[in-house]
Amino acid sequence: MIRFIFILLTCSFFIASCKKEGCTDSQAENYNPNANEDDGSCTYASDLLQINVNPKFGAQNFYLDSAFETSEGYFVKFTDIKFYISELKNGNDVLCDVALYDLRQTQHNLTSIPGDYSKYGSLFGEIGIDSVINHSDPSAFPNDSPLNISNAGLMHWGWNPGYIFISIEGKVDTLATGNNFNHNISFHVGTDQFLQSFGFDNLIWIPTDDGYKLDWTLDLQAFLNNSQSAIDLKNEFLTHSGSGQMILAEKVKNNFLIALTQ
Amino acid sequence: MRAFFFYFVISMLFLSCNKDKTTFTPIPYAINIPSHFPEMEIPQDNPMTEEGIELGRFLFYEIKLSGDNTMSCSSCHLPEYGFAENTSFSTGIDGISGNRNAMPLFNLGWEDFFFWDGRRNTLEGQILGPVPNPIEMHQEWKEATNKLNADVNYRNMFYRAFGEEGIDSIKVSKAIAQFLRTIISSNSKFDVMYKYENSLPLSPSENEMLLTVEAEEWAGYDLFKSLNGADCFHCHNGPLMRVKKFSNNGLDGSFSDLGRALVTNDPNDEGKFKVPSLRNIELTAPYMHDGRFNTLDEVIEHYSSGIHISSTIDPLIEFAGQGGVQLDAQEKFLIKKFLLTLTDTVFINNPNFKDPFN
Repeated sequence: MIRFIFILLTCSFFIASCKKEGCTDSQAENYNPNANEDDGSCTYASDLLQINVNPKFGAQNFYLDSAFETSEGYFVKFTDIKFYISELKNGNDVLCDVALYDLRQTQHNLTSIPGDYSKYGSLFGEIGIDSVINHSDPSAFPNDSPLNISNAGLMHWGWNPGYIFISIEGKVDTLATGNNFNHNISFHVGTDQFLQSFGFDNLIWIPTDDGYKLDWTLDLQAFLNNSQSAIDLKNEFLTHSGSGQMILAEKVKNNFLIALTQ
Repeated sequence: MRAFFFYFVISMLFLSCNKDKTTFTPIPYAINIPSHFPEMEIPQDNPMTEEGIELGRFLFYEIKLSGDNTMSCSSCHLPEYGFAENTSFSTGIDGISGNRNAMPLFNLGWEDFFFWDGRRNTLEGQILGPVPNPIEMHQEWKEATNKLNADVNYRNMFYRAFGEEGIDSIKVSKAIAQFLRTIISSNSKFDVMYKYENSLPLSPSENEMLLTVEAEEWAGYDLFKSLNGADCFHCHNGPLMRVKKFSNNGLDGSFSDLGRALVTNDPNDEGKFKVPSLRNIELTAPYMHDGRFNTLDEVIEHYSSGIHISSTIDPLIEFAGQGGVQLDAQEKFLIKKFLLTLTDTVFINNPNFKDPFN
């Protein structure tokens, strides 16, 4: 009798020990090497996905407040470059609802967000803000939202016109002396009609210490020199997308899209 | 024996009067954010409590914080002037004047940088400045806190606010910061206009105020926002009536005060100063960082025809090339009418913000 009980207990022990539930994926944060049956509990560390937009002026490195010569022979200093990107996604996989690029405040970074880079071999989105959100209460967005009035600041015109989608400001020396920057430029493109889509395929994410990154480029020389609609800073220096300024606003919108590349 | 007993009782009574006797049961303060304002971020290391705010209010009006017990924070930040001062420069306890106009104090819980040059990026940090400043209250913090520590009422108030004994500059700044965050200005005629134009709900009293808005005030508001009109709202927009930036607004062609550049050492920041809110502008004269303009008319004239071009002038001063936006007399009148709607009498008369010693 004693021998029978012993054999029964031993067999039970072995049977129980053969089935150990847990996370069986060695790539998971909570991988359990002793588990032999996956119970669905695996958790994975998110990579930090960064998208940087690196400005340049043709082949030159770009810096705010530095002078660059235009094709007309003027000298231009850009003092601010800001723009909104929204609904950045690949199919149904949304990477980022909205991001505000502010070269002076956040340098080249457009957004940094946890995620799985493998989902984003392509990215499509809007330059600007969808009309529903564009006319919402700017005080009602969370404090960390780039749409909150505290963060949007002068990128928000008001509830009716909404947000400025693209803001490029600077000064031009049209006398080409190199030290007579007294001609202001202010390109403010917004309102619903200037929302535009953009996107990139075949994205190559570059590994970083804590995730992956994309490096996009914004070429300010291409922005000014687009052969289809070049901007002459001497005569085209001010638009707020209002009446009488729509042609230049359209140029800014179109040229910006051409200047932004991966 | 009877005499001994008498002296014993008297001694005990005397001692009991000076005994620290309090408890730490802080009551969290739920700050009432106006419906059209963004949320206020409260620092995690300085949560607001009833006790902290009360202490901060006493400290704000406390003359012991100055070297000769003559000045408090309120000496240069008076409620009737929107917690600013009606002189170009403040004079400290030694009779020395500063070189910048005292900034008004309201809606500070939404600010990210303080002083005209933004040299402090927290409210608590800002408060630490004026006490030891030799041209302001001119007293080392150690001396100031020793004075406070000698007062049993303050010892008790600090204990009730922070739950530990000892008074130092950090606790003083935290308490004053808590008080200052309660100073919210959101009840001007402009607030009603802002809510109305954006279809936000109005209270019965706001509806009454809406009926008092004059056509000229609405016209002034339109002109204020007009890109081809006064073009003010690029820098003064939203419910807080300002944007967070430093700007050279064309006051001078060359600079006697380098402003933001003194903090950043960047020549591109020369002549730039913090963009202030226009709320309560009627109360906060004189205007600009150096108090150079005594009246709103002078300010309006500056933006209309007095702009000076310099290397760092803000590109948003879009009509700088012609000296300003060139308003005619009627337009100047309308702009002024609108600016006066920014006065908030509820805020300046709020008894919770007044001197607790009087």
